[in-house]
Amino acid sequence: MRFILNGQGQDVPAIWADEPLLFLLREHFGLTGTKFGCGVGICGACTIILDGIATRACMIRSSDVAGLSVRTIEGLANGESLHPVQQAWLDLAVPQCGYCQAGQIMAAVALLEETPAPSADEIDAAMDRNLCRCGTYPRIRAAIARAAENA
Amino acid sequence: MMRRRAFLAASAGGLVALIGVAACSRIPVIPRRPDPDVSTAFGWIAHRDGRFTLTLPRAEMGQNIATALKQVACTELGAEWDQVEVVLHATDMPRVKATVGSESVMLFAEPLAQACAALRDALAAGQKAGQVRVRARSVSELRAFRSGGLIGVSPEIVHARGIVTGAPLFAADIRLPGMLYGRVLRAPASVELQSRPLRWDLDAARAVPGFVAVIEDCGLPIGRAQGLGIVAARPGALDAIADALQVAWDVVGPHTRSDIARAIDVDARLGASALPHKVLNGSPEAGPWDVDLRLDIPMAAHGPIEPRAAVALWREGALQVWAGTQDAFYIRDFLADAFRLSAGAVTVQSCRIGGAFGGKTICTVEAEAAALTRATGSPVKVQWTRAQEFALGFHRPPSSHRVRARIAQGRITDWDHAQMSAHILFTAAVVPSWMQRGTDVFAGDGGVARGMAAPYVLGRARAAYDMVRLPVHTGPWRGLGAGPNALAIESAIEEAARVAGADPLAFRLAHVADPLLAAVLERVGEIAAWGGPSASPARGLRLGRGIACGSYKDTSHAAAVADVAVDARGRVQLTRLWCVHDCGLVINPDQVRAQCEGNLVWSLGMVLTDDLPTEAGHVTAQTFADAPIPRMTDVPPITVDLIQSDRPPQGAGETAMVAGSGAIANAIRAATGHRAVRFPVRPEDFAT
Repeated sequence: MRFILNGQGQDVPAIWADEPLLFLLREHFGLTGTKFGCGVGICGACTIILDGIATRACMIRSSDVAGLSVRTIEGLANGESLHPVQQAWLDLAVPQCGYCQAGQIMAAVALLEETPAPSADEIDAAMDRNLCRCGTYPRIRAAIARAAENA
Repeated sequence: MMRRRAFLAASAGGLVALIGVAACSRIPVIPRRPDPDVSTAFGWIAHRDGRFTLTLPRAEMGQNIATALKQVACTELGAEWDQVEVVLHATDMPRVKATVGSESVMLFAEPLAQACAALRDALAAGQKAGQVRVRARSVSELRAFRSGGLIGVSPEIVHARGIVTGAPLFAADIRLPGMLYGRVLRAPASVELQSRPLRWDLDAARAVPGFVAVIEDCGLPIGRAQGLGIVAARPGALDAIADALQVAWDVVGPHTRSDIARAIDVDARLGASALPHKVLNGSPEAGPWDVDLRLDIPMAAHGPIEPRAAVALWREGALQVWAGTQDAFYIRDFLADAFRLSAGAVTVQSCRIGGAFGGKTICTVEAEAAALTRATGSPVKVQWTRAQEFALGFHRPPSSHRVRARIAQGRITDWDHAQMSAHILFTAAVVPSWMQRGTDVFAGDGGVARGMAAPYVLGRARAAYDMVRLPVHTGPWRGLGAGPNALAIESAIEEAARVAGADPLAFRLAHVADPLLAAVLERVGEIAAWGGPSASPARGLRLGRGIACGSYKDTSHAAAVADVAVDARGRVQLTRLWCVHDCGLVINPDQVRAQCEGNLVWSLGMVLTDDLPTEAGHVTAQTFADAPIPRMTDVPPITVDLIQSDRPPQGAGETAMVAGSGAIANAIRAATGHRAVRFPVRPEDFAT
């Protein structure tokens, strides 16, 4: 069972096939940037990009990604060079605790790949399902706008 | 793989009850919280080969204290930003108090600066190794306590690069060779009721791929809820094992106060006798009141996006734990006591916390991981489910308030604020009921009292409270009592201003006692153009603007203005928020602003979303759908303005909470003509 993980071909071991993709990423591949927040697809902390679409990794069975391409927060930067969304997050000091931010960033990347110059309403609509208890929403909005400008 | 304890589990259920009963009469480990001084700063800062290591004496949970204290250290050392590496502390250094109460800059910046100044001098004098004696110097000699250089600017946040690239920073990110995944199941009942697993289907659990063990001896109860441990080779198997076990629980109940609303009904309580705990001691005159409000603020979860997590490793009689906790030393002491170890045999490593807000101050998941690693001999990771966070954590207590005011010649002459709530500082999550009976008499609860002394001159003013132990555990939640108390006070002040026919801003200025609070109030009026022309209402929307202010722990101050739009169905949308904040000298203005923004979103949550549903004395919420928190579309553009000050630095993590919720509630009043008295507000209260 093969799939593409951050640009590289990987196997889903048989014993992980029925596990949620989130745990395959975190515990088998050691990509712990993607977080467990609620386990039922509500909070968005586990957002990854599956064949171009922002997807909840807690809601996908590992075997269901066979033949598909998965991108995680660890695959965004090009070596030391950050993705424009990551850079905007740093420039505007978005994170407080930081736990939800990988999911926020992946949702933002998916939005900008689909809609390179989103309106304020489009940003809100795309990001409304990613929760942040610290209240970084105003900065997330600003960082997405910044990344859209700099892309 | 079948473990010995797991085998016993099938036939020895009765033993568990004995363990549970014995545990209930234990004297709990109480957190020790010494304030830091120069002598405790030993070990926080070290030098080797031109580089410094700052061992952060605080928990890092998003207040980004690592960044502020690194600014202090770099400034005092005269070091470049990249010369200082920050590491999070473990319990192998001298004890530091819990990271609570917005104290980190207020209490820790100076001892750190003193230690860094001494190290700087020693290096300049040619010392290369050994320990440095710290001679406390006056604050005026410290470079970190005046603006300039790295003080008053906002460098890149410590850990931010790791956060945006997905580096392992949190407890659940720890991975160890041979690590297993655990959970402790507990009865779906009040944690105040004695409960234990009665029987379970071990064969069905064994058939689940990834099953490792069922562990009966899984540590202390949470409250009085004795658990049943399960261990799996993969985390996703835990849900399936829990389902397959179909545990039957023995619950001794029901709880006598399972009707929580009735237990905290302030009017019923006032009908019985006077409230025992006084915050303001005046004697209002008898007679009719001009303002007489009953406000009800429900239980609320902290709702951090990170469910608490720990990884434990038992090796050669020593216990190593990685935890996202606000108090690693309390966790260490608790585990040492629970497992009959010396403190030296337990090491707790702090990890970055994915949101805490006062809720990650107790020992729960750490003890579960420790018990499961002891039973299995393998390292074990435990991360609570979202449902466990709601059911087993402690929460903001529900409170009910009766606030009355009398007005003559434009001034408040009499004030009476009565509150009924549940314990906060003496949380039932740590303090057993027999011990609470003592603290109830001799100490009251400073957490319930926090912020109950209104920051106004109110004539003959009385404020008093009582609290009752509830079937759901309550405890510290961002701002403790200050948020709910301020919402009640600022609602009543607003109604008093209306009775007086006064402008709400001018009315507050006429009553505030502290000139620093008056200053933030005046300033927020300026930046929000208070009293200017109001926006013309869009079709079908009622617009309103509200103002409120308050002080946190008497030393930091905030004022806020909110604009709302309410539609015909009664749905409230915040459209704009302004806040002015004075916390003394600001080390990192951008991160103080971030704290204000967070507080304002929490204020919005207090009014619009925060509620934790319960039934028959236990939490029924399973997901964020049942206990929602604010979303991006709830949050308006926010403007924060910081007062430039050379007062010593004060707390910034909980201050704007005391202004935001009142401003929003008062804006809804202005828009709709209705005073919100039960929270969170419901659209049907404001539908036309």
